[in-house]
Amino acid sequence: MFKKKVTFKILLLLIASDILETAVHFFFKKSTLSASQGQVTDLTSAEVFLKVVFSSGFLWVGLLIVAAVFIIWSMVLSKIDLSVAVPIASFSYILVPGVSVIFLHEQITAWRWLGVFFVLAGVVLVSLSSKERAGQVK
Amino acid sequence: MKQGLLMVLLLIALTSLCDTINQLFLKSTIDSLKFNPTLNIIKIFKFVFQLISKPRLWLGFAFSLISLSVWLVVLSKADLNFAFSADSMHYIFIALASRFVLKEKMGARRWLGTGLIVVGIVFVSLS
Repeated sequence: MFKKKVTFKILLLLIASDILETAVHFFFKKSTLSASQGQVTDLTSAEVFLKVVFSSGFLWVGLLIVAAVFIIWSMVLSKIDLSVAVPIASFSYILVPGVSVIFLHEQITAWRWLGVFFVLAGVVLVSLSSKERAGQVK
Repeated sequence: MKQGLLMVLLLIALTSLCDTINQLFLKSTIDSLKFNPTLNIIKIFKFVFQLISKPRLWLGFAFSLISLSVWLVVLSKADLNFAFSADSMHYIFIALASRFVLKEKMGARRWLGTGLIVVGIVFVSLS
């Protein structure tokens, strides 16, 4: 029988996979920026677009990180319930606004902070729920 | 106009559903391997190799590919804000699938936490 508790190690793995996932979006976006001169309207322009994207080093770095995220996520799932791992991975909804404020000096509305608070509260509750013993769960 | 919105919502539900199926296949494949997380690189590679040699995992990947394709269609039709907030239904699908397919024990706290996350994502994405 597995221990289902979210340990510190699991939490670190989850945060690492979240940060790497954010990096994937960043690199994918970067790779399309170098191809954004032409509009994709038909098959020929789509082919040109894909050629530029695939010759960009950013895309391959992104794909490499995708593989790393898959391995880390698999390690997480080997230890905890899917219904715990997926909600905790929503941590990126806290991470991205945080990074946007600190590094990009973006303005965050009150509604968005409220949303971040709800997500945070939800993540904490779900994490705690993994410590409940089967007998206590009705 | 109304019909277009319904169409987009259905497409978002479809991508969430396909992604949920992918996670179900992944989770059940991993459970069949009984792996213990470690930082030993050799053991990790052995685990990944065992994992990718299971056909069930590739079935999951196929659903993931459908999910990605449908998501690209959604992004071409809808606002990114709206798409992301509606995609939070993904968390509800995952919770239901975990409870009824994987038979995970879902306590009140876990349901409440999942619900809060869904509400939070709608706020974050729409504002």
